[in-house]
Amino acid sequence: MSLPSVADSVRPAGATVGSGPPEEATRRTAGGDLFRAVAHNRKALAGVGLLLGFVVLALFPGQIAPDDPRAKIYTPGLGPSWHHLFGTTAYGEDVFSQLVWGTRQSLLIAVLVGGLATVIGVVVGVSAGYLGGTTDGILSLITDVILVIPIFPLIIVIAAYERNSGFFMLVIVLGLLGWSYGARQLRSQTLSLRTRDFLEAALVRGERKSYVIVKEILPTMTSLIVASFLGAAVYAVLFAAGLQFIGLGDPNSQSWGTMLYWAENNEALGAGMTYWAIMPGVFVALLGAGFALLNYAFDEISSPALRLRKLETTGVDAEQETAVPIRPPDQKNILEVRDLSVAYASDHGPVVAVDRVSFELGRGEFLGIVGESACGKSTLVYAIARLLGAPLAGEITGGQVLFKGRDMVTLAEKELRHIRWRDYSVVMQSAMNALNPVLTVADQMRDACEAHSTMSKREIEERSKEVLRLVSIDPVHLHSYPHQLSGGMRQRAMIAMALLFTPELIVMDEPTSALDVVGQRSLMVQIKELQERLGFAVIFVTHDMSLVRHFSNRLLVMYAAQVAELGQTRQVFARPLHPYTTGLLEAFPSIHGPKEHLLGIPGQPPDLLRPPAGCRFAPRCPHAVDRCRVEPPALYRVDGELVRCFLHEQAEEPVAVSTEGVA
Amino acid sequence: MRFVFRRLGFFVVTLWAAVTLNFLIPRLMPGNAAIAMMARYKGRLNPQALHALEIAFGVNADLIYLGNIARGHFGTSLTFFPDTVAHQVLQALPWTLALVGVTTVMAFVLGTFIGLVSAWRRGTALDGALPPLFVITSAFPYFWLALLAIWLFSIKLGWFPPSGGYDVTTTVGWNWTFVSDSLNHSVLPAATILVTAIGGWILTMRNNTITVLTEDYVRMARAKGLKPWRIMWTYAGRNAILPNLVGFAMSLGFVVGGAILVEYVFNYPGVGWMFLQSVENQDYALMQALFLLITVAVLLAILAADVATAFLDPRTRERG
Repeated sequence: MSLPSVADSVRPAGATVGSGPPEEATRRTAGGDLFRAVAHNRKALAGVGLLLGFVVLALFPGQIAPDDPRAKIYTPGLGPSWHHLFGTTAYGEDVFSQLVWGTRQSLLIAVLVGGLATVIGVVVGVSAGYLGGTTDGILSLITDVILVIPIFPLIIVIAAYERNSGFFMLVIVLGLLGWSYGARQLRSQTLSLRTRDFLEAALVRGERKSYVIVKEILPTMTSLIVASFLGAAVYAVLFAAGLQFIGLGDPNSQSWGTMLYWAENNEALGAGMTYWAIMPGVFVALLGAGFALLNYAFDEISSPALRLRKLETTGVDAEQETAVPIRPPDQKNILEVRDLSVAYASDHGPVVAVDRVSFELGRGEFLGIVGESACGKSTLVYAIARLLGAPLAGEITGGQVLFKGRDMVTLAEKELRHIRWRDYSVVMQSAMNALNPVLTVADQMRDACEAHSTMSKREIEERSKEVLRLVSIDPVHLHSYPHQLSGGMRQRAMIAMALLFTPELIVMDEPTSALDVVGQRSLMVQIKELQERLGFAVIFVTHDMSLVRHFSNRLLVMYAAQVAELGQTRQVFARPLHPYTTGLLEAFPSIHGPKEHLLGIPGQPPDLLRPPAGCRFAPRCPHAVDRCRVEPPALYRVDGELVRCFLHEQAEEPVAVSTEGVA
Repeated sequence: MRFVFRRLGFFVVTLWAAVTLNFLIPRLMPGNAAIAMMARYKGRLNPQALHALEIAFGVNADLIYLGNIARGHFGTSLTFFPDTVAHQVLQALPWTLALVGVTTVMAFVLGTFIGLVSAWRRGTALDGALPPLFVITSAFPYFWLALLAIWLFSIKLGWFPPSGGYDVTTTVGWNWTFVSDSLNHSVLPAATILVTAIGGWILTMRNNTITVLTEDYVRMARAKGLKPWRIMWTYAGRNAILPNLVGFAMSLGFVVGGAILVEYVFNYPGVGWMFLQSVENQDYALMQALFLLITVAVLLAILAADVATAFLDPRTRERG
């Protein structure tokens, strides 16, 4: 698999699980790990290096510059030499000394304007986002207006009336006009935070609003605040230099912009004093680049999706590939998964999200895969469908997926494209997200048809209507956009799309969980009907065991990346073998049975980065004994079922890494 | 409909703010620049020009000022006396539209395309090199790059003329000599604007695309076995460009600021150059008119971006 892994996003299968509630985790990352993140980012380091260099120049110009920047004591217009690194000006001053002394003002402008703009931006942005209502309306309008009014011309207008205004006037004007971009971003970030649990909790605790803002909201936005400071700093450096260059600054000040102004006035470029005209710009650009690089790095740090991580396979057990025996596929099975392993890259090393999973699927069979969230079930099915990629950015590290006799793991993307959708299709959790919002349902059906057939436009339209009718949608909705359909219709439309070529296998990832209970039920019935009528096999992922009770032939229970139990659905429900399965069954009410007390399972699934040494379920298991905590159990066969628990060790021989056929 | 009204309200408020700033700034400045200005010019100017100053700074209230502007009465230019401001502005406008308008749109289109491809080819050498490079170029001062271009391509190499919009010896009009000459004059300023402006679009489009690539509908497109270019254009690109269009509109104010300096450095006979001339000559009527014009131009571009968004995004269309 050559897919680049972009992990650490939505569901890194257990990476955040076990380290407290997700909010806690994000908050910690945003605040405390900032320093570490900067130290690991090359762009950030380059930016910090540049800025540190300028800070040194600004702090000790007297020690670094060879000359007094205003001493007109040399021959005018000298070229570069050992004494005059960048030559002399038309007035006989040393260019290098002027550059060094000019650093102080540019850096000061950057820091002061950045600071002022950030303070205003934080106050306006956070209040707008947090207070909402009319306050938000007014503040947002002001922000947008200031953002849209061309700032540089406005500053020129102001400077035109207040000629040669001092340094602080410049800082205040730039600061007052430069906060809007940051405020806009901080507002939307605050809006998205407002409904989070930890904020509600703080309010329930009776904390004051100001306390919530300072103690709870601001720390989570550290990187965004830093980014808005850096953005304002870049803009301040560029605009200040621009103003001084056109002669609207103090012509006697020591700054790079003023140097450029004098150089331009003396036509330095034409007169051969190249360095005088060019070097101040280089310094402006370098200072700007320093801030911009740091800013860009912070952008990457605050949105993990932008970071590209390569999976380091050292540490991941890579021997499994040889462990898979070469054995011809069974003709009655449409799919055979053998020892499939998937790993993610994370900041702390590889995370094995799917650990040597094996199972088989007969033609026309309905297999349910159940387990808590982050147990690896979605990763497993997307690995089988060869659809891993951000946010499920794992890589297959071992094993085989034999689909109709061919190993999907080794197929090239081009070969895969030919069997996708024709031979197997996919139905996703939320059609709202899985359907392209800017294309109509008809468009999205047509591109699939065009990719795999030579159907004419008419035929495609006919076929599209036909599959819509199959899932009981009136074909008048064919030319609707996804957002125009109801939730239930969208899910059905997606299933209809999956039926376009009547594939032999449909992978369904919680296709009903976006619906209410009634909608879930009727959709399940419909899926089952279609399956029986059209004869395709189904892999159905869900966290709700009761949902598949009457529809699936077999159940695969996953826990912490491994198979916990695999057996006939009826048998699993009647006599669950694994304590985890028992726990899952007790967590959901039975529709028909007598009233029971729902127990659920105490604790949380383990952190897959550091799974428990013994049985992975041991920390939560009511039956755990000492042995469970040190020795990982193998899969044992009991009455044709597979179970990973020492309780059933004596019942049967362990299955040799589960590669034997499954009943 | 509510959406359209809200947008229109925003445009009205922004325009009002720009006009009011124009009106207030000279009056808020310490020492009241307006009165000082009037005193300075009394007796030195003929009544007509003085009247121009009165319109800009005089006893007229904001409303009268607004009314004058609405009728296109911007007063008389001091620099180009006795020509009216409106006439002067109309002469400079085509140059700027041709230079800044075309290059800004080009930078956006090219930048968006490069950003999309760069995100699509994530992790390749191309993608590794482009973002840091453009982070740095987008921090370049426009005017400095313009100076550099003049130094290299006209002083050293002599490929392009160093300044102006056309050769003054040619006749202005739709003849080949003039058109080719003015194109030749526009190469350096256009390249300067392009190089500095494109970086921002590349970076934002790349980041948007990377975010969009994690969406379920992109995975779905892969699952459907669509050809990569189809996924890149209609699934990733079309969704990623939506926030970029808003960004385009929002940052136009910055781009225009840079373009003014480019015109200044190249002595390009456009609005930006004229704007700085008016500042230099303390021709406040002309300066204020140009500031308003630039604001209106930015608002029009935002309107265009709104229309484009509505065209590309059915959800916005419905809200409107």
